[in-house]
Amino acid sequence: MNDMSWTPLGPPQPPPQPVPPPMPVAFSGSRKEFFRLVARGAGLELVTVGFYRFWLTTDIRRHLWSNTQIDGDAPEYTGRGKELLIGFLIALAILVPIYLGYFLIGIEAEHLKAFASLPLVAFFYLFGQFAIYRARRYRLTRTVWRGVRFWMSGSGWIYALKASLWGVLVVITLGFALPWREAALERYKMRHSYYGDLQGSFEGRGWEFFKRGWWLWLLMPFALYSTIFAPFAYAAFKAVEWRWWLSGIRFGEVRLESTLPRSALIGLYWKVIGWVVLLGLVFAAYLVLCTLLVASMDGSSIENFFRTEAFAKSIPLIVLLGIGYLAFALALNVVMRVYLMRDLWVRVLSSTIVHNIGAAADVTARGDLANALGEGFADGLDVGGF
Amino acid sequence: MESDSSATSPVAAPAPGAVFFDGASNRRRVVALKLSDALEIRQDGALLARWVFADIRRADSPSGLLRLSCLTAPSLARLEIRDGALIATLVARCDALEADLPNRRGVAAIVGWSLAAAVSIVLVVLFGVPLAAERLTPLVPDSFERRLGDVAEAQVKVLFDGKPCSNAAGQAAFTKLVGRLRESAGFDNSVQSSVLATSVPNAFALPGGKVFLFDGLLEKAENPDEIAGVLAHELGHLRHRDSMRELIHNGGTSFLIGLLFGDVTGSGALIFASRSLVTSSYSREAESNADTFAIETMHSLGRPAKPMGELMFRVTGKEGGKGLSLVSSHPLTEDRLARMDKADVASRPNGPPLLSSAEWQALKGICVSAKGKL
Repeated sequence: MNDMSWTPLGPPQPPPQPVPPPMPVAFSGSRKEFFRLVARGAGLELVTVGFYRFWLTTDIRRHLWSNTQIDGDAPEYTGRGKELLIGFLIALAILVPIYLGYFLIGIEAEHLKAFASLPLVAFFYLFGQFAIYRARRYRLTRTVWRGVRFWMSGSGWIYALKASLWGVLVVITLGFALPWREAALERYKMRHSYYGDLQGSFEGRGWEFFKRGWWLWLLMPFALYSTIFAPFAYAAFKAVEWRWWLSGIRFGEVRLESTLPRSALIGLYWKVIGWVVLLGLVFAAYLVLCTLLVASMDGSSIENFFRTEAFAKSIPLIVLLGIGYLAFALALNVVMRVYLMRDLWVRVLSSTIVHNIGAAADVTARGDLANALGEGFADGLDVGGF
Repeated sequence: MESDSSATSPVAAPAPGAVFFDGASNRRRVVALKLSDALEIRQDGALLARWVFADIRRADSPSGLLRLSCLTAPSLARLEIRDGALIATLVARCDALEADLPNRRGVAAIVGWSLAAAVSIVLVVLFGVPLAAERLTPLVPDSFERRLGDVAEAQVKVLFDGKPCSNAAGQAAFTKLVGRLRESAGFDNSVQSSVLATSVPNAFALPGGKVFLFDGLLEKAENPDEIAGVLAHELGHLRHRDSMRELIHNGGTSFLIGLLFGDVTGSGALIFASRSLVTSSYSREAESNADTFAIETMHSLGRPAKPMGELMFRVTGKEGGKGLSLVSSHPLTEDRLARMDKADVASRPNGPPLLSSAEWQALKGICVSAKGKL
């Protein structure tokens, strides 16, 4: 590797072991470059009234994938924005009749009893889980390392059914069953994931997750009660979850391990909150400024401006407010993507160690590409991930 | 930790060599490159692949590394080169290196098509959806509309916790009042109407011919003409099938605006804001039409329309300057009052009262027994 490679926030040096040595995962991308990528993307999203999101998502993944180095070689994301757009359009063509049917069935159900249609929401939950599985399949089949792609088998509907039944159990037990739900779902996903002819598996146990996170479950009422406390609890939960998840992943004899400390993500969430507050203040100041400006152009005093019709009928004011709101929303998007995608990615990666990478030295290519329909559903239903 | 991971890597690529993955297995082959009329990839002297320069494409890679693929090779075959001089030579030789990567022209096309899509969606929202609502409403069968009405009625009763009032004398007066309005407006007797024991001062029409009057409004009313005007207004909504039209209109607008901003379910502040702007302008028009209907109905009975405006003014107070009139769903109360006043002056209604004073008192007390039970 060349000296341009940069490893953020060095994890503790893994203890020396006999051959093959454990392999830390490195990230070589520059933060400035990523910022430029998402800032430009946000601008284009504004210009294209949101349609650019397919290409921006693709570019973000291309950047993250190709700057991650596993055993000295970077994976490659081969998906394209156009595929996501087509997936979205097909998903739309399927979702529209479903929404209409949902509406009509809802009327029939309401006819029997007021608000009887609420259980139909469960159907959309099921559909959302299906979308999550199929979207993961798309992403995995677009991930290539050393000229061999990852791929996935299994059924999205079986996964959705499992996820929903476990979801019911989690609700009944007030969250107690969450670790076991995640373990069961990950086992299903990983069992059906492959790198070439190397089959994946998941060895994380619900009990281990529970042992690391049970105190968070007990603290949950406090976190819900006090907003100051919530980010700490959520960040700790996410860190525990990441560590447990990564440490359970296997591909053949290759083993992943994560040393992510519980406190690793707290700073990130607070930075995001800080930015949100700051941007909120700027937006509020902008609102006041616009109102004053329009009022002074109008020639009326502020009090009159609010008392009379002028306030509501002023088209320039409404346009200015609309632009301000869009800029605010896009700035928030940039902040979220820099901290909660890129920085989170880097922190999690820097704590990840690959054991026995030699077992993946001679893998035969297998597996076909999956379509982007799942991503389209995930976009249409607002469930998603990286 | 070491920043130079080649120390841990089993094979470091010797310059000016390269690393080749043939796309059939992930074996890492250290190869020698020879540039003749094509790129020859050799391992230990044996030719592994021959890539024509025009078919070579760039693939994503970390900085400092050139990763190549070839159109005629297996789609995942990759050649990785780290040597700067060799990279420069190859970049110069391969004309179509960047052809398949997203580029400036691609972005321009995305922007252009997005704007076209946005313009078409906006046009459909502004012109297509109202037209569709207009044309589709008469096609919706009455039975379906009645079902919708039943659903809405059940929800209204739960939401407002209102029980129908059925004090016998009051009910007789109410039936008489509604009957006169109905006959004058030319409705058959499928119109259902009732008074709900709720303190909210309001009245509304539901699809399928249901009119609801809340006791709260009855309490604020000072004479039968005020209530008659309100009921005539609601009958106007029924006549124009406004709730059905509004349903189609709202559904279509939410869906299209959601499509524009990337969420089919139509949530989010921006979507909400633009939707309420579009639909409220539409509903103001419907309200104004229902007012016209109310004025005509009252005048055909020989009664003035202005009392209805006065009742509404008593409920809302002066509205001008209190909120965003662009997003309010009704025209301003004072404007409506002024309009009714003007209409009354023009036609000078002087018919007999719709209810006797005893009947009016009975109507006012229609919910008394119900309340007594509560």
